[in-house]
Amino acid sequence: MAEPTVTTAELKGAKTRRISLADVPWWAVIIVVLGVYIGYAVLTSETYLKVISFVMEGVKLTLQTTLLAFILALVLGLLGGLGRVSKNPILYAMATLYVEVIRGLPMLVIILYMGFVIGPAIRDLTGGRFDPPMLQRAIIGLGFGYGAYLTEVYRAGIQSIHRGQMEAARSLGMTYFQAMRHVILPQAFRIILPPLVNNLSALLKDSSLISVIALSDLLQMGRLYVSRTFRAFEGYNTVALMYLVMTLALSLLGRVLERRMKVGE
Amino acid sequence: MVNEPIIQMRDVHKRFGQVHAVRGVSLDVFPAEVVVIIGPSGSGKSTLLRCINHLETPTSGKIIVDGIDATAKGADINALRAEIGIVFQLFNLFPHLTALGNVTLAQRVVRKRSKEEAEAIAMEQLTKVGIPEKAHVYPDQLSGGQQQRVAIARSLAMQPKIMMFDEPTSALDPEMIKEVLDVMLELANEGMTMVVVSHEMGFAKAAADRTIFLDEGVIVEDTTPEGLFTAPKHERTKLFLSKILH
Repeated sequence: MAEPTVTTAELKGAKTRRISLADVPWWAVIIVVLGVYIGYAVLTSETYLKVISFVMEGVKLTLQTTLLAFILALVLGLLGGLGRVSKNPILYAMATLYVEVIRGLPMLVIILYMGFVIGPAIRDLTGGRFDPPMLQRAIIGLGFGYGAYLTEVYRAGIQSIHRGQMEAARSLGMTYFQAMRHVILPQAFRIILPPLVNNLSALLKDSSLISVIALSDLLQMGRLYVSRTFRAFEGYNTVALMYLVMTLALSLLGRVLERRMKVGE
Repeated sequence: MVNEPIIQMRDVHKRFGQVHAVRGVSLDVFPAEVVVIIGPSGSGKSTLLRCINHLETPTSGKIIVDGIDATAKGADINALRAEIGIVFQLFNLFPHLTALGNVTLAQRVVRKRSKEEAEAIAMEQLTKVGIPEKAHVYPDQLSGGQQQRVAIARSLAMQPKIMMFDEPTSALDPEMIKEVLDVMLELANEGMTMVVVSHEMGFAKAAADRTIFLDEGVIVEDTTPEGLFTAPKHERTKLFLSKILH
């Protein structure tokens, strides 16, 4: 009986050895290697540490602006999305107008407009009683702009849910909004999570535009540092690095969420 | 036994653009009656059912359900729908909720029952359809037959006065059809008012009080199952039966 027997351990070994080079996420490997190298270089350099501590206030403002604008955009996007799928012609028209107009404008223009046209107009109309500071104007501008993008994300998510879901919910006696809230939106939300995270990442990058209305975000602080020290190389390296750390973290979050959802299905 | 019909349809028409799906249907269904509707595909069977609970709004005509004229302006369609259960061909379970969640949701949202009460009723109904052990399982882990039984339990938990079935076994593998039909038979025996669109002749013979043959949006024959299957009067009925009886 000299039959060759194969143990399970050997089978497993054969399996793990068969991972091809193409399966390795090389981009992630490169980022990790470069990250460790650059991180080490930066954290041991006195100049970079100085720049980092100088722009840290800006990072805070960037994160705060991004978060608040995103919350506003989530709310506006939900309302807009509901309008876009509404059978009510007025709601539909309002939502569509919002999307088409806002998406047709560069974000930079929206922010300048909020800062120097709408903001002062609000102040004048309310006789100075309500005068939103520049930061609030910027947050509203960004939130409004991204609300238009998120409107389309929500709309696509809602429309991707099979018609039978709404019919089943309505047949049980639920109102349209009860069906939306308990049946359609929970399902749509899972589908739109990845694009929502993408938009959050894009919003984080676009938040750098608020530096044009003289708000001290990360980019503005970096520019300030460069103009004071003429160290453009270190200054902008740091700015780029800081944005990259934040967006990569979001991208990672997006991947984790996406994977979780696949498991949940 | 003289009583009021629970569903009264008078000259109901439904058009979808150029398509005239239902062409003047008048039909009475009495409490505890089981009515089975058969007919070729595209004959307007499903549309007719969907008009009864207003998933489709009739283009013209009158539909009175449980004394409420649903075609009148300002009628509380939602309240009416809660009294009419409907089971769909494709089950339409809510995939993000467990079987128990599916059966409790509308009870809580529409009937405003407490969590405990809704869950007690849900378990009762899941037991009735024979799958109480699947209460905490999500729809995608259930077989088609099990999903359809959860869908039936979901409708029953609302304690409706009428149950409608829109080809409930058409999407099922053959070996699962019986488990669904058995539940429907039991319901019929309990005296539930039922309107069933189905070509399951066995069910029609065993449970139906009346069998209706619908073709091109009109009622061609309205008679007993024996009458329809063994002695159809109209040529169109004969032709159709010869096709489905092989």
